[in-house]
Amino acid sequence: MIAMGSMAEKLTLLVDGGIEYYKDKAIVSEGGGMAFMASPMSKDRIKEVESIDGVKVAQAEINMLLEDLEAVNFGQPPMIVGTDLRGQEYESFEITFAKGRDLKEGDHKKVIVGSDLVNKLDAKVGKRIKIRGEKFEVIGILEKTLTGPDLTVVMLLADAQELYHKTLPDVLRKELKAEDLVTGITAFVDEDHDPDKVAKTIGKEIEGLSAMGPKAFQDQIGSAVGVFSAIITLIGLVALMVGGLSVVNTMSMSIAERTKEIGIRKAIGASSFKIIRQFLMESGVIGIIGGLIGLGLGIAFTSVANAAGNESGTALFLVTPRLAISAVLFALILGIIGGFFPAWRASRLNPVEALRYE
Amino acid sequence: MSDAMEGNLNQIVEVIDLHKSYRLGKNNFVHALRGTSLSIKKGGMTAIMGPSGSGKSTLMHIIGLLDTLSKGEVWLAGNRIDNLPKKKLPKLRASKMGFIFQGFNLIPTLTALENVALAAEYKGLSRKESAKLARERLDVVGLGDRIRHRQSELSGGEQHRVAIARALVNKPDIVLGDEPTGDLDTETSREIIQMMKEVNMTTGTTFVLVTHDPEVADSCDHQIQMRDGSIVDDSASKIDGSTKTLS
Repeated sequence: MIAMGSMAEKLTLLVDGGIEYYKDKAIVSEGGGMAFMASPMSKDRIKEVESIDGVKVAQAEINMLLEDLEAVNFGQPPMIVGTDLRGQEYESFEITFAKGRDLKEGDHKKVIVGSDLVNKLDAKVGKRIKIRGEKFEVIGILEKTLTGPDLTVVMLLADAQELYHKTLPDVLRKELKAEDLVTGITAFVDEDHDPDKVAKTIGKEIEGLSAMGPKAFQDQIGSAVGVFSAIITLIGLVALMVGGLSVVNTMSMSIAERTKEIGIRKAIGASSFKIIRQFLMESGVIGIIGGLIGLGLGIAFTSVANAAGNESGTALFLVTPRLAISAVLFALILGIIGGFFPAWRASRLNPVEALRYE
Repeated sequence: MSDAMEGNLNQIVEVIDLHKSYRLGKNNFVHALRGTSLSIKKGGMTAIMGPSGSGKSTLMHIIGLLDTLSKGEVWLAGNRIDNLPKKKLPKLRASKMGFIFQGFNLIPTLTALENVALAAEYKGLSRKESAKLARERLDVVGLGDRIRHRQSELSGGEQHRVAIARALVNKPDIVLGDEPTGDLDTETSREIIQMMKEVNMTTGTTFVLVTHDPEVADSCDHQIQMRDGSIVDDSASKIDGSTKTLS
């Protein structure tokens, strides 16, 4: 449960970060592909996008995979983002630097590295690292954002264009010039305009382009997350049944073994309520202990899995305080619910029969 | 309260025409008590004797509100208790009665102090007050230095003394003992009988002891003999010239 929950937590924070990032933007692509699978488009499209009412500025971008995917990846794969920095001063998504500084014009062959890629790329400020076969100097390392930027290497558009150009099939590579290529445009929308409406207008008025506003992003991602949530819910229900039945079984056995004790307690004046309270407290404690052990094992498992994943830049799990507290509370409640029936049965025992029990 | 009861306020327990039947199978009944009547004097020591299956333990369980009756009346200190609602019984057991069982029936996971304090907590005292009272009672039975020991660390006699302390912790009107010396050797048994007699004499607590042991019976001032669910001999009726009908 902890492992699945931490995976869901990671995904939720990733999506929340995405929603926060896209709240005042429209993401423009040729034909409407996802960011890292977008087909190339001409840089001239920027002017067309900026001509739409409500667009403050359009920023050309290259979004590409840091390395070719060898297997199906859960969540976001490590990415390279090349930017022409035109939107830099309008960016509302707060990013802070753990070390170093942000990109500026003229930072040729320099990169900023997301926190989850530091180990994978062995990145240090001032150090030169290899990205897709080319050497780049690290000028900044981002603070953890728990969302997209953690798995991103940011560089100037021109550098990314060169890298992207190399990945194109021969036929396209000969036809297209690197400096004309972009895979996406981020349209920064004026505060007094609705980014979803602006996105719709872009899609309607510029032929061949499609744009996604924050609502469309939410819908698109939401449906994907929905499937995962359904799986988590299903696993949660199975865990609830298994855990609940385990508590019922443990408490029933404990009560059977302690029948005589229940008889003694009743004989010396314990009311049914006190017997129920005692056994509910015990089942609650069993629940908490089970929850803490589960949490410990979950943290150990996710740490090992993340350490292994870090080498490929894909840490899948995130155990947050809210997840840890929820897990232990869940276990406590499960313990109490699971213990209720055995506790109630204990309270109904006939004291004379219970005292005779050996 | 009936006139008879009003006139018998020096009786701690009054049992009138008590019947108890158990159902065994569909139409088979076992009659454990067949119209038993008796009076137990306040502040006395009563021994209930008889062979196994004579109904003496059933009688004690009904007087102690641990079991229900099929017919009849049970009065405790002038109050009828057999018709009380079920939820009132635990409180009454905790405050008015103390129990000493064969095999002592201590809770093995608790210390001597905790075993004794538990009865006080069930009466409604705070944990602190209960512990204080329990310590005092354990001192009285000579176990002041063994309060942190669990059942497995106490001898048979010591366990018995813990059971006595537990039975006395709430200053009950009556202590009911079911074969209280059944598991003890002769010397320890005498020691325990002596202790109960001392408590009886110094505090005036009534003791009703179900026993096979003639030595226990001899130390009591009132003996009742039972057979097949009926009282066949009651020493009180001989002394008092009581009009009680013996079956």
